[in-house]
Amino acid sequence: MSDLEAYRTTAAAWLASMAPSFGRAARKGLSEADDLALGRRYQKAKFAAGYAGINWPTEYGGQGLGHLEKVTFDAEEMKHGFPSFYFGISLGMPVPVLMQFGSDKDFVKERVLKALQGEEIWCQLFSEPSGGSDLAGLRTKAEPDGNGWKINGQKVWTSWAHYSDYGVIVVRTDPTVPKHKGLTYFWVDMKAPGVTVRPIKLAGGDSHVNEVFFDDVKITDDHRMSPVGGGFAVAIATLMIERYVATDSAGFGPHLDLFVDLAKDTQLNGRPAIKDGRIRQQIARNYAMRSGLDSINVRARLMMQAGMMPGPEGSLNKLVAVRSRQKLSELALDLQGSDGFLFDEHASQKEDWASSWINAPTGRIAGGSDETLLNTIAEKVLGLPQDHRPDKGIPFNQIPA
Amino acid sequence: MTILYDEGQQAIATESRRVLEARVDKDALLPLLEATGEYHRPFWDTAREQGWTALALPEAEGGLGLGLIELGLIAHQAGRSISGAPFLTSSFGASKAIELFGSTAQKARWLPGLASGEIIGAIAFAAGPDALPARPDVTFTGDRLEGTVRGVSAGLAADIAIVFANGPGMPVLALVELAGAQRAAVPSFDNSRLIADIGFSGVPAETLAVGSTARDAALRILALQAVVTAHEQTGGAEALMEIARDYALTRKAFGQPIGAFQSVKHRIAELYGLVELARANCIHAAAREGAADFITAAAAARLSATEAYDTAARDCIQIHGGIGVTWEIGLHLHMRRARSLAIEQGSSLFWEDVLVDQLAGEAA
Repeated sequence: MSDLEAYRTTAAAWLASMAPSFGRAARKGLSEADDLALGRRYQKAKFAAGYAGINWPTEYGGQGLGHLEKVTFDAEEMKHGFPSFYFGISLGMPVPVLMQFGSDKDFVKERVLKALQGEEIWCQLFSEPSGGSDLAGLRTKAEPDGNGWKINGQKVWTSWAHYSDYGVIVVRTDPTVPKHKGLTYFWVDMKAPGVTVRPIKLAGGDSHVNEVFFDDVKITDDHRMSPVGGGFAVAIATLMIERYVATDSAGFGPHLDLFVDLAKDTQLNGRPAIKDGRIRQQIARNYAMRSGLDSINVRARLMMQAGMMPGPEGSLNKLVAVRSRQKLSELALDLQGSDGFLFDEHASQKEDWASSWINAPTGRIAGGSDETLLNTIAEKVLGLPQDHRPDKGIPFNQIPA
Repeated sequence: MTILYDEGQQAIATESRRVLEARVDKDALLPLLEATGEYHRPFWDTAREQGWTALALPEAEGGLGLGLIELGLIAHQAGRSISGAPFLTSSFGASKAIELFGSTAQKARWLPGLASGEIIGAIAFAAGPDALPARPDVTFTGDRLEGTVRGVSAGLAADIAIVFANGPGMPVLALVELAGAQRAAVPSFDNSRLIADIGFSGVPAETLAVGSTARDAALRILALQAVVTAHEQTGGAEALMEIARDYALTRKAFGQPIGAFQSVKHRIAELYGLVELARANCIHAAAREGAADFITAAAAARLSATEAYDTAARDCIQIHGGIGVTWEIGLHLHMRRARSLAIEQGSSLFWEDVLVDQLAGEAA
């Protein structure tokens, strides 16, 4: 047995032992507050057992292992439906960026340890009403204020902000230079005076994203994580982590096995739907797409493991996987016919086709819309020309509104 | 588990690309479209001289002892350059059939010649839409073959063929010398594939496998070939994506490069996605040779590579506009090849069924 397989076996056994306390069945019927509390206890148990921060440096409370161990654990963990998604963003992007760019190492270490144990949650304050796909078009501003800064403006689509203790934020510090050059990256205390969080109810019924308002929120300069005017580079570094952290060839929807099971169990025209050519074709096509992404992701991790930079093909993950999931979810509902009307708004997108379907549009927009991703591939990977951009090269405050 | 190419494998990719780009160009390939029985000899001479014919065969049989990963890399480059003959895949399939299922005597008789490229092999399994028919048209009785296999790639030039035949109450995988067979050229949209109807009237043949073993063996041979072809298709798709990109950067309309229009640039970005998915599936499948899930991995590679090459052919021509449909520019060489490769070793319809049978846990 390879080291990795031994690791998998041990992890799987530990996860199985946690399932009765924290798994799918234990969560059934819990309010979100109780579920979050359960999630915090689960995160603490992971930390105690050495499964938090698997590929993070030991000096920050991590395990100092590789990406392969992390991915191996994640794959096993996913099987049990644990309440870990509250910490997905926090430990996925903001906290790693804090480790990389935070200036006060003692402070960073304290925060990382609390985050790893589920005691504190971090959010990522990037998108704004006027700066989504056009991130650098954001308007929230930080002005010098004594020895520090004063933040005013509004962020939006901020996942888990309502539970967050801290956030990382990109703001405009100089409106007189071209838009990418006037941004600076900070961390903020989400409990500070002047921070108001308002949940947004999404089409599928859940409210995990928020509007966040900043009214004269004062921070000291030690909150700064980039040079003044150098925030865009750190924002991009954050999003690059996202490219390979947030990978799921199922597009964050159900595993293809669930579709195969559904097709086996459903009678269509007097025979199992798995015998129907239309269904078979979609299974085959989806499998081929997903196995391609899996291979891309495994290679990316092997490259990171070997100290190399993964190729740009990782940018395909969300683009390809989520829109396929959207169509497959529609087909799964078709397959259920009049049995497919049943809708449970608390069902998991990873396990329920209706939930996967109704939440799929969010997936195609959040974290870079399909169109933005196609532009990125065309321009950054293939070297095709940029779109016509009337805002290019002119000071932010002179861009036509 | 997929892999990263090591230095030796990267060198194979670089060197084969260098050699093929130096020796193959579309002006040599275009006339082949209008003649039956002709192939691009410099391509095959190069394959022999470079040892590509021996690459994936065991050292004991005159081969180089490498595998699908390395042969796949060559096939990828051959796909980029539009390979001038089908033998890299057809002889590989015949060689693997003999290596895996042949007797010591059969191996000694045929493998050294296949490894050197002196002998050319073909695979003759299909009956129309059925890449692996339940009841093959050709019968095998008393060690003799009777009947016709239609549309065999490399059939016009092959010295031997591996035939999936209908034996006494069970299928047979047979090895036959083609000297005694009748061959009729099939005029095709891609004539350098050397496609032939091969007729047998009492031609002596030897068995490699019998019964359900024969069917499993035949599927395994098809899957091995399919992985090589998938690499070739991916190479072709990659070349077309680059041609489309280069054209979109230079061709101007409405005062800007056409690649600045999202309808064009997104089309090319989508091609990038198809190429990378196909490439990833190819690398994975090649690394799974001999593993329990090899057939599944091969089917996935085949499906994504066929989609990539067909789509790239359609879209690359579309992006070129009028010039794209001219004989001279030669994009139709890729379009034709995309289709011939899509059909050889079973179309997507076949591999979709194979894949779903594997996933649903049904007998293939």
